[in-house]
Amino acid sequence: MTLPLSPLFWLAIALVLVSQLMILRSTIRAMRAAASDRARRGIEWAYAVVPAVALVVALAATWQASREHAVRLDLETRANQTVAP
Amino acid sequence: MTAPAAVLREPSLARDLIALTKPRIISLLLLTTLAPMFVAGTPSWGVILWTGIGGYLMAGGANAVNMYLDQDIDHVMARTKLRPIPSGRLSARAVLAFGIAIATAATWLLGHYVNVLTAALALGGFYFYVFVYTRWLKRTTPQNIVLGGAAGAFPPLVGWAAVTGRVDLASVYLFLIIFYWTPPHFWALALLKQRDYGKAGVPMAPNIWGERETIDQMLWYTGLLIGLTVLPVTFGVFGAFYLVAALVLGAILLRGVWNIRTLDARGESWIPVAWKVYKYSLLYLALLFVAMAVDRHV
Repeated sequence: MTLPLSPLFWLAIALVLVSQLMILRSTIRAMRAAASDRARRGIEWAYAVVPAVALVVALAATWQASREHAVRLDLETRANQTVAP
Repeated sequence: MTAPAAVLREPSLARDLIALTKPRIISLLLLTTLAPMFVAGTPSWGVILWTGIGGYLMAGGANAVNMYLDQDIDHVMARTKLRPIPSGRLSARAVLAFGIAIATAATWLLGHYVNVLTAALALGGFYFYVFVYTRWLKRTTPQNIVLGGAAGAFPPLVGWAAVTGRVDLASVYLFLIIFYWTPPHFWALALLKQRDYGKAGVPMAPNIWGERETIDQMLWYTGLLIGLTVLPVTFGVFGAFYLVAALVLGAILLRGVWNIRTLDARGESWIPVAWKVYKYSLLYLALLFVAMAVDRHV
């Protein structure tokens, strides 16, 4: 069963993703401005990307968990409607 | 009769050993360990006690080893030059032995009286702080406290595992919240202590990237943090009480960071506001975790 997720979920996801993209953008800008060699820039880039990738994995798991929660809530609502006179 | 304040502050071995553990920092770590235990379930007094003692000793051990590893720069910085090693009150070897001893005791206590996963996670936090943050990242990258923030994010995993015996998505979120709280919190201090960090050769973001870029990143990290604090509500971990608390507390933090940015853009001094943001960020995390525990029991 596919149920729509709450607007709160999508607002929070949008805030998290936009913020993460802006952090990556800002890091690239800062790395370019700071005098550093190419190898150092590569390492700094990796330091910035690793948490971003981990975050995307966590968001994917959240999407799954939120869908399951929405289904659970829907089933509970239906059960209550059936029981109610 | 009340002793004069000067006498009360007289250094002693006991006071120095306690200072090595950084008790003020640990109080927040303990809160972020214990509050998740009440989110995860209803822990027994025994589990609360042993997790609290083990958590204190493990974090205290990590802090003592950190002081051993940073002895060469602690005497340079005004903030750290009165610590037991730079002031010559304790030998570096004694501090290292003390740190390893209490961390070992913590591992045994947690493994014996709580569970093996809890002990392993606490020890993971110790290793991460000592080796990944202090030895590797701290002196090599301006992103030191971004990745290093993971060390301070272990306590909720420890508390959660103590009650449930596992790590799940809700506990990962508590980890992520502390991980993403660390940059705006620590960079507020780094903005204020740039000269100290510069003298010690620690490449903090404001020294390497500049103030504007650091403040911009603080703003985006705060936005990300607010989004993350809301998401556990969407899969049923927390309810309305927590949601309101998270939004209000987050909005206050965001406003503080925004004020720093506005003042910086106008070329005005943001020093008092940065201090307020630094202090408020500590209160923010404490109140957020209290709200989590309260939400589960109202």
